[in-house]
Amino acid sequence: MLINKPLKIANKKQSLLLILTVLSMTVLNGQPINQGDFFTNIGKIYVVVGVIVLVFIGLVIFLIRLEKRISRLEGEITKS
Amino acid sequence: MNIAPWVKVTSVILILYSFIAGLLIPLGPGIVSITPVQATAGEEVTLDIFTYNTHFEKSIPSVYFKSDNDQMLPAYSVNIVNNTQLKAHFSFPRLTPGSQGMQGLTLIINNQLDGFTLLPNALFISSKQSGETDAWKELSEIELNTSNELKFPYRSILQETIRNIYYHVSLWFAMILLYLVSAIKSVQFLRTGSIQFDEQSKSLAEVGTLFGLLGLVTGMLWAAFTWGTFWSFDVKQNMSAVAILIYLAYFILRSSIEDLDKQARIAAAYNIFAFVALIPLIFVVPRLTDSLHPGNGGNPALGSDDLDNTMRLVFYPAVVGWILMGLWIANIVYRYHRLKRKFLEN
Repeated sequence: MLINKPLKIANKKQSLLLILTVLSMTVLNGQPINQGDFFTNIGKIYVVVGVIVLVFIGLVIFLIRLEKRISRLEGEITKS
Repeated sequence: MNIAPWVKVTSVILILYSFIAGLLIPLGPGIVSITPVQATAGEEVTLDIFTYNTHFEKSIPSVYFKSDNDQMLPAYSVNIVNNTQLKAHFSFPRLTPGSQGMQGLTLIINNQLDGFTLLPNALFISSKQSGETDAWKELSEIELNTSNELKFPYRSILQETIRNIYYHVSLWFAMILLYLVSAIKSVQFLRTGSIQFDEQSKSLAEVGTLFGLLGLVTGMLWAAFTWGTFWSFDVKQNMSAVAILIYLAYFILRSSIEDLDKQARIAAAYNIFAFVALIPLIFVVPRLTDSLHPGNGGNPALGSDDLDNTMRLVFYPAVVGWILMGLWIANIVYRYHRLKRKFLEN
């Protein structure tokens, strides 16, 4: 009965919470991860590349959020 | 209050340096695996040895086993398969020096170009009797080369990911310093009551949390390919996640209080306690129990086993670079908060 009901996701925040829950369930369950070829070949150098890319993405997301806040403030200043 | 230009230039140069030097300095030689891993004294054994970053075709290696009382047994012949693969033939005498019964021998490969490299407990040998024979030589009789080139040490599980120390650990160092300055600004706000200190404190905490979250995510990726899982419920992983949650609660606390003056005062008090809680969570608790992180479970942090002198050449500049970069970003956030307050005041 429950399965037949479509899952309603009201807004962005709820869907984000859902994604994070599913992610934490799969990531945190302690299963050994599949040692794929890409990250483990050439002495695992792509793990280093991945870490640098993550840091870069994190900084970019922070800058985009900061820019949005500044744009909102600019909008308020020009309105008044 | 703006950040001086030299701070920005220094931070960019130091971080760029950490990327270039941290990625271009090669890894030292290392032994990846050998087969077989067990032998009996008195038999002849042919070993397949796989290594990393060695140049056997340019410089002929010699292969030894070292017993636990520093006696060396050289291989009687070595075939070079390629730069990183060897076939070594050993003939073990009936008597093995050192401890009786089962003994883990250290494999040593030496050549002039790469220097020597070793793998402890590479081969377990079982012998009925222990004793000295002519085949086993004193350690002082054998000459080992060391390489003078700049190289990062090879560690069997880490391999190239040892470079992540510059991109993961330095973020945590920068986070701690940003939180420290943030707590100091909160104290200043409570003492003087001028709102600008609270805004600086808030901005520093924001960037500190950014670095902390990045530290968690990069650490998870690193852990996945070295410890086997993204999250292994290691003490330090758990405690730093708790620390980040404490700071996330700080921002939720701020947004839950509408009165700006009250918000600033409560948030400043909370921020000081958050930093006080951070110290035991990150520095004390992980050292009390066993942890996968180096420098925990009673060991001194960042000892010479985890961070050799070549790595320090890259690691400390990276830490300073990220701290200055964090102060720069926090300053931009602070200027946004200041503008917003000035606009709301008018």
